[in-house]
Amino acid sequence: MASAVEVFGLTREYIMGGEALTVLRGVDLTIPRGEIVCVMGPSGSGKSTLLNIVGGLDRPTSGSVVIEGEDLAGMDDERLATYRRRQVGFVFQSFNLIPTMTARRNVELPLVFAGASPEERAERAAAALASVGLAHRIDHRPTELSGGEQQRVAIARAVVNEPAIMLADEPTGNLDTRTGLEILELMREMNAAGRTLLITTHDRAIAESVADRIITIVDGSIENIEQGGTA
Amino acid sequence: MRFRDLAFLVVSNLRRMKLRLALTSLGVVIGTSAIVLMVSLGIGLQANLTAELGDLGAATHITVMGGGGMPGVEFTSLNDEIVDEIAAIEHVEAVLPSVPVYLDKIEYKKYVLYSMPYGVNMEDFAKFGYEIEEGRLPRNDSEILLGAMLPASFSVASEDGMMMGPGSTVPELDLLGRRLEVATSIYPTEQEIEADPNAQPRQNKQKFTVVGILAPSDMMTDQSAYISMDAALDMNDTDRRKVTYEQLIVKADSVDSVTDIEKTIMDRGLYAYSSQSMLESLKSVFLIIQGVLGALGGIAMLVAALGIANTMTMSIYERTREIGIMKAVGASNRQIKRVFLGEAAIIGVLGGIGGLLFSGAGAALANLFVKAMLASQATSTGVASSDTASFFQIPVWLAIFAIVFAAGIGLLSGVLPAVRAANLDPLTALRHE
Ligand SMILES: Nc1ncnc2c1ncn2[C@@H]1O[C@H](COP(=O)(O)OP(=O)(O)OP(=O)(O)O)[C@@H](O)[C@H]1O
Ligand SMILES: [Mg+2]
Repeated sequence: MASAVEVFGLTREYIMGGEALTVLRGVDLTIPRGEIVCVMGPSGSGKSTLLNIVGGLDRPTSGSVVIEGEDLAGMDDERLATYRRRQVGFVFQSFNLIPTMTARRNVELPLVFAGASPEERAERAAAALASVGLAHRIDHRPTELSGGEQQRVAIARAVVNEPAIMLADEPTGNLDTRTGLEILELMREMNAAGRTLLITTHDRAIAESVADRIITIVDGSIENIEQGGTA
Repeated sequence: MRFRDLAFLVVSNLRRMKLRLALTSLGVVIGTSAIVLMVSLGIGLQANLTAELGDLGAATHITVMGGGGMPGVEFTSLNDEIVDEIAAIEHVEAVLPSVPVYLDKIEYKKYVLYSMPYGVNMEDFAKFGYEIEEGRLPRNDSEILLGAMLPASFSVASEDGMMMGPGSTVPELDLLGRRLEVATSIYPTEQEIEADPNAQPRQNKQKFTVVGILAPSDMMTDQSAYISMDAALDMNDTDRRKVTYEQLIVKADSVDSVTDIEKTIMDRGLYAYSSQSMLESLKSVFLIIQGVLGALGGIAMLVAALGIANTMTMSIYERTREIGIMKAVGASNRQIKRVFLGEAAIIGVLGGIGGLLFSGAGAALANLFVKAMLASQATSTGVASSDTASFFQIPVWLAIFAIVFAAGIGLLSGVLPAVRAANLDPLTALRHE
């Protein structure tokens, strides 16, 4: 089976005040399709940076990043946007819903930029919201929803365009343990539908409960790859 | 992204900043108003002036009168010598000298008329292209041609010779082929009074057959009657060796040569005017008014454009995180740019519509004011003003232009902020707040 993610020799440097700060130093990583991979590591080790590069929100300084057969290196802004639109669904720690839009509108947003017809958009958004158990909250704004509900809306938004991979940067970080587990359960369902998942977390128990593999990054390098509890 | 969705995003974004939107649009309202009023004044004046000045004569006609007569300047009267001189000026096509009859009255049955008949050379008259409504030009000394308004200008004379009051004006008479009696009163000259202090005015009377009635043209012509030059000189008892003319009408070969010809005539010490030269001198006045309005509009628009740019920059700053979210879910730079350009354009359009409404109301008000002024002037001078007088005119194309222009200003002001929004780094944008 082809790999969803193939990363070789990935480095990311920031130039700060004339000095180079190396955040990722030569990361090699291959993720087969359909796997759930959790990324762990101390704060500042480069977990989010890795996720953002895989998601096409950030660019590597060097190395190759091939996602679903597409090489992200050398893509211009326009093509990266297309890549994000087609292949990637993001879930953030702070939900990142647009506060003035209803749940439905938030979920429809990726389809709006993809140019879907209004009928198709409405149908798919309703289905996505139903699949996260929020069919009855479809016309509520984020401020009228709990944190867990907001994160469910975010998950619906992440899967509405049928992406190949879903990237979640500490999706349970702002939630209590119970709600966090519900969210992870939901993500596992999304994975069962065939999506590759890359999740960063600080919580070892969570990683072990959900991951096929757990990768530990320390100081920009992969230190350890182990099989998760589900493998 | 579909246009409908783009429109939805734009409108819902603008809904979140109603007050700011209103304030920002206000600048465009002012700018558009000034510019629309400027252009509409230009259009209105052009239309009205051309209509009103048409009353002074056709665009290619110049009216010449004797000149001088002021202290230190001898009066130059118009004689054949001067007629020949003017006829020789370049681009002059024809010259029409005219002699007014010393009119007492014109009578037809019980009706009287006090409009001056002029003696003209009918061959020259024909060159001026006055249209004849019915009939033809006079061919002998006992035929008369009437201006367009004369058949409707008769009054009823009462027994004692006094005119009856207002309302005595009779309806239009059918005069073609009828005979009118023209009576002149020739007052004694100074020499005659010296010889006989009791000298009385002499009366001449002659019957003329109406052979033609002119189509409406300018005010002068409409209210005049025309007979042959010989007939006029006879009725006035004029010595053929001392013929002078009251006025000449000069026909230029084109509108463009009118001003030059007029200048040449004025330089000769005569007085001349034409609808064309008046139009030109009035135009320069209105050009100044328009210039002031235009400058005002331009400055207002510039300020409005800065206002839009400022508003857009601020609202983009406040929505930085949203831009990051949109990029994360797949919005391209171009799509982001379109959303913000759309917002800026809508601010412009709203301002344009507001400006159009505002200037439309202003124009209507100004027109009312001008009309009222002209009406009061008309009652005080007794001269009827023409009823057009819409000095501000906003045709459909101007309305469309105004809105498109305002939208363009909005769009242009939005370019820089929108490009900045589009080029935001998605991660930086997501971290914003
Ligand atoms: N735009 C930037 N400019 C400079 N340094 C940056 C920038 N973005 C991230 N970094 C640095 O890169 C390093 C890795 O950051 P990253 O966010 O990937 O860490 P992380 O592993 O996700 O940490 P956390 O667990 O706290 O989320 C940090 O030291 C951070 O300061
Ligand atoms: Mg992080």
